[in-house]
Amino acid sequence: MKKEIATFKINDRPYEVIVTSDMTLYELLRNLHLTGTKRSCGVGECGSCTVLVDGNPTLACSTLAIAVRDKEILTIEGLSRGAQLHPLQQAFVDGGAIQCGFCTPGMILMAKALLDENPTPTREEVKEGLGGNLCRCTGYVKIIDAVMASVEKMRRGDS
Amino acid sequence: MVQEFSVVGKRAPRWGARDIATGTAKYVVDIELPGMLVGKVLTSPHPHARIIGIDKSGAEKLPGVEAVLTFEDIPPKLFTPNRHDLILYHPENECKDMQVISDKARFVGDRIAAVAAVDTVTAQKALELIEVKYEVLPPVFDPLEAVKPGAPRVHDFAPNNIALHLKFPGSRGDVEKGFQDADCVIEETFRTSKQLVSQLEPCACIASFGPDGRLTIWSPGQSAFLQRRKLAEIFDMPEGMIRWITPHVGGSFGKFGSLSIEPVCAALAKKTGKPVKIEYSREEDSSRTETRQKYVATGKIGVKKDGAITALQEKLVVDGGAYFSRNSTTTMANMGSFTGLYRCPNVAAEADCVYTNILTTGGIRGYGNSEAMCVLEQLIDRAAREIGMDPVQLRLRNIKRAGDPDSKGLRMETCTLEEIIRLGAEKVGWAEKRARKKGEGAKRYGIGMAIMMDLSGAHPSCIQHRNAYIKFNEDGSANLIVTAYDMGQNLCGTCAQIAAEVLGIRYEDIHIVTGDTDITMFDTGIGASAGLYQVGHAVMNAALEAKKQLLDRAGKKLGVAADELEVRDRRIYLKSDPRRGISVAEVTKQATYNFEGEHLNISGKGSFSPTQSPPPFAAVFAEVEVDIETAEVKILRILYVSDSGRVINPATVEGQVEGGIAQSVGYCLTEDCVINKETGILESDNFTTYKIPSTLDIPEMEVILYEAPVPSGPFGAKGVGHGTTIAVNPAIANAIYDAVGVFVTDMPATPEKILEALRRPSGTSSGIVS
Amino acid sequence: MKLFDYLEPGTIGEATQLLYDCGEKPRILAGGIHLIPRMRKGEIEAEYVIDIQKIPGLDRIVTEGKGGVTFGAMARLRSIESSRIIQSKYPVLYEAIHQITSVQTKYMGTAVGNLCVGTPASDVATSLFALGARLKITGTRGERIEPIEKFYADYHLTSLKRGEMVTGVVLPDSPPGMGTAFLNLVRTHADIAKISVAVAIVVEDGICRDVRVAIGAAAPTVFRAAKAESLLNGEMITSQAVNKAAETASAETRPITDLRSTAEYRREMAKVLVKRALEKALARAGCRG
Repeated sequence: MKKEIATFKINDRPYEVIVTSDMTLYELLRNLHLTGTKRSCGVGECGSCTVLVDGNPTLACSTLAIAVRDKEILTIEGLSRGAQLHPLQQAFVDGGAIQCGFCTPGMILMAKALLDENPTPTREEVKEGLGGNLCRCTGYVKIIDAVMASVEKMRRGDS
Repeated sequence: MVQEFSVVGKRAPRWGARDIATGTAKYVVDIELPGMLVGKVLTSPHPHARIIGIDKSGAEKLPGVEAVLTFEDIPPKLFTPNRHDLILYHPENECKDMQVISDKARFVGDRIAAVAAVDTVTAQKALELIEVKYEVLPPVFDPLEAVKPGAPRVHDFAPNNIALHLKFPGSRGDVEKGFQDADCVIEETFRTSKQLVSQLEPCACIASFGPDGRLTIWSPGQSAFLQRRKLAEIFDMPEGMIRWITPHVGGSFGKFGSLSIEPVCAALAKKTGKPVKIEYSREEDSSRTETRQKYVATGKIGVKKDGAITALQEKLVVDGGAYFSRNSTTTMANMGSFTGLYRCPNVAAEADCVYTNILTTGGIRGYGNSEAMCVLEQLIDRAAREIGMDPVQLRLRNIKRAGDPDSKGLRMETCTLEEIIRLGAEKVGWAEKRARKKGEGAKRYGIGMAIMMDLSGAHPSCIQHRNAYIKFNEDGSANLIVTAYDMGQNLCGTCAQIAAEVLGIRYEDIHIVTGDTDITMFDTGIGASAGLYQVGHAVMNAALEAKKQLLDRAGKKLGVAADELEVRDRRIYLKSDPRRGISVAEVTKQATYNFEGEHLNISGKGSFSPTQSPPPFAAVFAEVEVDIETAEVKILRILYVSDSGRVINPATVEGQVEGGIAQSVGYCLTEDCVINKETGILESDNFTTYKIPSTLDIPEMEVILYEAPVPSGPFGAKGVGHGTTIAVNPAIANAIYDAVGVFVTDMPATPEKILEALRRPSGTSSGIVS
Repeated sequence: MKLFDYLEPGTIGEATQLLYDCGEKPRILAGGIHLIPRMRKGEIEAEYVIDIQKIPGLDRIVTEGKGGVTFGAMARLRSIESSRIIQSKYPVLYEAIHQITSVQTKYMGTAVGNLCVGTPASDVATSLFALGARLKITGTRGERIEPIEKFYADYHLTSLKRGEMVTGVVLPDSPPGMGTAFLNLVRTHADIAKISVAVAIVVEDGICRDVRVAIGAAAPTVFRAAKAESLLNGEMITSQAVNKAAETASAETRPITDLRSTAEYRREMAKVLVKRALEKALARAGCRG
């Protein structure tokens, strides 16, 4: 195909869009005005564009939109339930883990993927797990603190 | 710490954190306007070339292209992208050498043309259709080559590429005599690194002229009012016809204290009559926007056997790049910091600001102080070794005290250098660790330290003017309307904490309105850690006035004098009988809907211009392990003791320190622009080639906030964020020196260079003069 | 990116036929982590992108009857890293993948895709050289097996002919008592290696029965330091032997100076890393040099 109408499932919502073969998932999200996913490098090095595709952390800038048309896509906009923030989002907010915030959506989704796979990581495992997400502001300390705090919260069953 | 405050001192969430965490916060790139065009900039592929001719007809004919601009389409006004010329008391050193679109290519990345088209593909095609005839000229990349006779001339008005020679006005005493009196003199020349700022949000801008001729700009610029005045001067408009909007900003670190693409974006918007957005890619951001300031820095220190510093001298060759931008103020700050950190009777500094055909340097976090300390603090350790004195002791012997002038010549209200050095040394176990055997086998352990003093705003070199406005809502909450540029350092949130504390309401009761010059009042902009100290003070003044109105009103209601009242936790009460009181909300509602008399929307306005700039201080201790076979450096731990005055928000201050440490780790060990020596092309233009630290590259950090409130600060607060990239680099370098006895003069200290230094015959660590 | 034809074959046969028919510029899309950014930047031009993710079975990691392990072209780096059998039987491959910092890259990227880029700086390739891996290459005319040492003709040049694709990697059974090690040097953890070394050694009664010393990012392709290996093969393993082998391996490198490192440093570090990798592998094999 070079151009066709395709259906995407993003944040539990179906979208029917015209997509060209060369459109990246990032560009698709932008076309749908889902601006929460950020692009900082466009070459798959910074992790800012991380979304979840079938639960797997995926770099939207390096993924063809057409290649994920049958899959469940989760962006940062889909993480909170109305006013209720996901524990990770709340932990980032409460823990001073956000400075300029440009890395934050990708960072939170990568952390979610980590915790979905391993709900009780060590601090070292969190550090390793976020190795593909660059941040220039925070030095990562409070980001890792926030992930560990939400591990604790989620373990206790606090919402 | 005595818990006297309700809001100040708390880890309140960063303003806007929720929006960011849910993906609803809008940065420039996220903003869509109806009919918006895509703007793109054509830049020079040559580092140095004259433009013989430009044929843009092919581009103009392309369907979907609405504007193609070259230098011929724009009045040839020269400006400096830096906004200091508007506020410096002595602006004569500023240099207006830049055009909206250049008429000569001075670096690979210099703006040669610009297009606006209906979409990205069309805009890109249009760029490719512009035919530029260049007369390629020989380039010069090294500042030491650039000043030699016969070197290619970057700007016509600077025959030997020296834009400016600066003699530091604070030079005093007789350095020659000082060096003669010394028992040990060390001189060393360092080349500091041209670090790429690498803020995560690539540079972007939107410009739109309305039907009324008003220009609206969306930009990450740090000084909205000053930067709009610059645009006003470039486009011959009154300032009031420009509205400058600041959305969320994905990092700046000083870069966007300079204009970047706003002028060219505005030019495209003017030509097309439609909104135009220019969005740089990472490669474009890296190769076209300002980098960290860069020096060939020769530092010389003289010390006596008893540790007294007898003379300090610095000679700088500023590798300024193709345009002058902030080379004079960063260089002055560098010289002031070098000569001003320690007590010393004989100091001198001078600098040549040199043009080269590479990417322009700007004024980045640290602003010359970081580069000065890179040199000075390493010289201190060298001197310490030569005279057989412990580096901590040598520093304690020479540090300044309260009442001494700081590095700007201002009398310090407080000085905690001794306290934080001692505290840090004890905490880290300095004496024991210095005495340790360095190690056996392949690994060597080292511990080093460095100190710094910085500033809270650029007083006294320029005017600074801050304003804030607070109005109460009927429900007892308040809107804080303030220009408080937030690039992640939570200036808005900490200002809200100050306001809430004064007004006696909660942090959540403050609604911040910011980022629009049509709404907020004038402000000279953020940089040099001015924000909290200065803007915070204006906010405090506004809150005090609003509080006065509130208590006056409450007093009338309660039948007491206003000065008998206090307010806390949203309640106004009698100091003498706290059970008697009234809620803030009741007062504000009744003042607004007053059926009994005079209406009042309780509010307060505050202004602030500083008469001081109390320096934040830091003492940093770094522990490293050096592998002597691979010369790799592993930073084991960094201890950072910070005095930023009263800590309004500990999470914010810690975050600034932790982030500064991370940037400094990169600056010290790995980061530098890689510019091809033949073509002048930036080879390290993306995160594949230019590596900033990831989670795995950051050492264990401990941050101690040493709170020493300064009388002139709002609740005693000083700045912090600017200074956190200053002392870490030399602390790490000094730790390496302790571990293996070598230092790298051509920063960054990569393993390749450390290995080379290790191979030099011992004892010829160069630069020892006597 | 220029508009290309996106194709989704359902079988290997369809894929290879498409590869053959599509002439000059077909590209296989597996994880996309290398391909898509380069196509966006215009560094790679493709008229046809053949997405193999729908072909069943390509992601499997299979234990072979003879004790070896095979994994297919869509086996993601993350699944190989997490595989118990890879961790226990091929720790050098596990180590090479584990030190890749970006988890996203490992979820998206495939080992075969990584190999097919053809860069000498591939840590995966270096470790597979040490393991004596072979590649399953399928074309329109059938399947062939090629030792990985023969796969790289030159810098970014593989031996793939028109219509061929790598469909799997075959790892031989590890002999008992084989010790392996992977080491590299990087500017930052997430960077491409300045130099990488992977070693596999089998020692019996103090004598080296088999050894492979693979070096990456120090020549136009990953290579085995054959001269160094011949100094060790069949000989008593002593620390002098190890040192000499390391020195020899260093002399076999043809490194360049680039933005990551210098030729001199790479050459020197080849010696340091080969020595350290051999010592580590020997210790794991249960013997001291």
